[in-house]
Amino acid sequence: MIKELFTNLKILKLKKIRQILILLIVLVSSSSCVAVKEYNKVYLNDLDMELKTPLFERFETTFHIYREAAAGANGGKTGGGCGCN
Amino acid sequence: MEVKLEVVVGVIKSSITFIFLSIGLLAYAQNDSISVYKKKALESTEVDFLMGYYEQEGVHASVTGGIGNEDLHSTAPTVVIRIPLNDDDVLTVDAGLSAYTSASSSNGNPFNQTGASGSGDDYDVDNDKPMRKSGEGSPWVASSGASRKDVLTSISMSYVHASDDRNLYWSSNIAGSFEYDYQSFGFGGGFTQLWNEKNTEFSAKVLVYLDQWKPIIPTEFHEFEMYGNDFLIDDQSYFYEVSLSDSDGNAVADYLPSNFTSIDDVNRNSYSVSLEFSQILSKRLQFSFFVDYVLQRGWLANPLQRVYFEDRPNFYIGNFRSISNYESPSNTDVFHLADDIERLPRERAKFPFGVRVNYYLNEFMVLRSYFRKYSDNWGINSNTVHFEIPVKFNLKWKIKPSFRYYDQTAADYFAPYNKHFSTQKYYTSDYDLSAFSSLQLGGALVYTDVLSKYKLGKLSLKMISLRYQNYQRSDGLSAFSVSTGFSFVIE
Repeated sequence: MIKELFTNLKILKLKKIRQILILLIVLVSSSSCVAVKEYNKVYLNDLDMELKTPLFERFETTFHIYREAAAGANGGKTGGGCGCN
Repeated sequence: MEVKLEVVVGVIKSSITFIFLSIGLLAYAQNDSISVYKKKALESTEVDFLMGYYEQEGVHASVTGGIGNEDLHSTAPTVVIRIPLNDDDVLTVDAGLSAYTSASSSNGNPFNQTGASGSGDDYDVDNDKPMRKSGEGSPWVASSGASRKDVLTSISMSYVHASDDRNLYWSSNIAGSFEYDYQSFGFGGGFTQLWNEKNTEFSAKVLVYLDQWKPIIPTEFHEFEMYGNDFLIDDQSYFYEVSLSDSDGNAVADYLPSNFTSIDDVNRNSYSVSLEFSQILSKRLQFSFFVDYVLQRGWLANPLQRVYFEDRPNFYIGNFRSISNYESPSNTDVFHLADDIERLPRERAKFPFGVRVNYYLNEFMVLRSYFRKYSDNWGINSNTVHFEIPVKFNLKWKIKPSFRYYDQTAADYFAPYNKHFSTQKYYTSDYDLSAFSSLQLGGALVYTDVLSKYKLGKLSLKMISLRYQNYQRSDGLSAFSVSTGFSFVIE
């Protein structure tokens, strides 16, 4: 199982994965640069600044999963539950 | 001297008493401060009622091999309840239905405009005998059998535990969904860690779905599976005494879908790992980076979807004079018998990654953006760009116009109607796996009641949302969705 997983990862271009890892390292290191205090998060706490996909958008996400081949990477559903695709 | 010593000892005793009292008070104050500042993971029970309606039109029905009527209507009521079990734990229950009617899936048996089995029970494959022998089916006309409609029932439950400092969250969840020909059971777990004064967040989640088909196959393959090579002459078969013709309208009797083999593995399992990294960059700017790895194994094709081979003779049933007009929506009475059902590899690895960036422009506007790249080992690569700009009119009302662009390359196994070859191992004419781009425009009208002054029994209204989205795909598929949501808190 693990061997096959890595074989598939190879197919999905190791170069791309390396780029993502580099990006992740840059992102993690960027975290040490900034620290906005709780009392300064008024704008960030606005409902529209939420980084998750809002609940009320779920019907659109559902029909995208049906009608498009790509899915995932949005904090939402990654598979299962429908025979449509 | 003795007096002085007594005074010194007294002072020391007093000092020690003072120090211990101070430490005790400090410790009490510390404990008190912890109990005061430990905010509940969820203050009170929240309930969301949602209702969605989706409608589409298109000319590439996958059940009839990539041409035909793709009309689909779906209505989906959903309720989501979040319950605080105590200060640290939250239980979420999410239950919904999705009832649809589909012209494409109705044509699993295209010959039953008057009811395939008499009872209309198209799903009871053993009794699925069309009553009419004229066979006046067409990929452009919705059939009236039971497979024209279905209901997807889904329920999921998740449990989240928060640490005392609210910097670590553990979660677990189970989910199940049921359709007539498909069922799914899923479970998983994950964690979220916050640090850097809650400016940085990392989440990891693992999910497993164990799905199962109850395969429904098109009528010609069902009869072939039941009666073997004699299915055209067996008096129990639908095709007994039914006239077939070739492309020129000549009567023929040698139709045999020899590529067809029965489905031997009805399982479809999905394993996914999802990672998410979020970072606050300034008082107005934050972003999230998402990456998923999904491995699917099992029967990944849809057993109801037909495929036609270019290198095999064509066989028709119905009004032979309409054959020349077969690919036009004006064809209402002739049907092309298929060569096989869709065949796809038993394994698919998906690798999407995305970035969401939100910027607080001013007290009236926020810019929400999302970008995604996707690739899989079926040869599909795609890009997604999504922008939404919520505009506040006042504290209560806002509109949220949105724009979404999507494109994808075709799967290695895709070809249009009648363009596959019988020598191929895998084939599909499902246009959801073709190369296309799509554009989605829409918006939402949102009412927010911060003070929850409107009550419905014990429910206090927090928010109402009305959304509309228009979706246009470059292959001609056109769709729209309307949804509404009501958020309440129970006080």
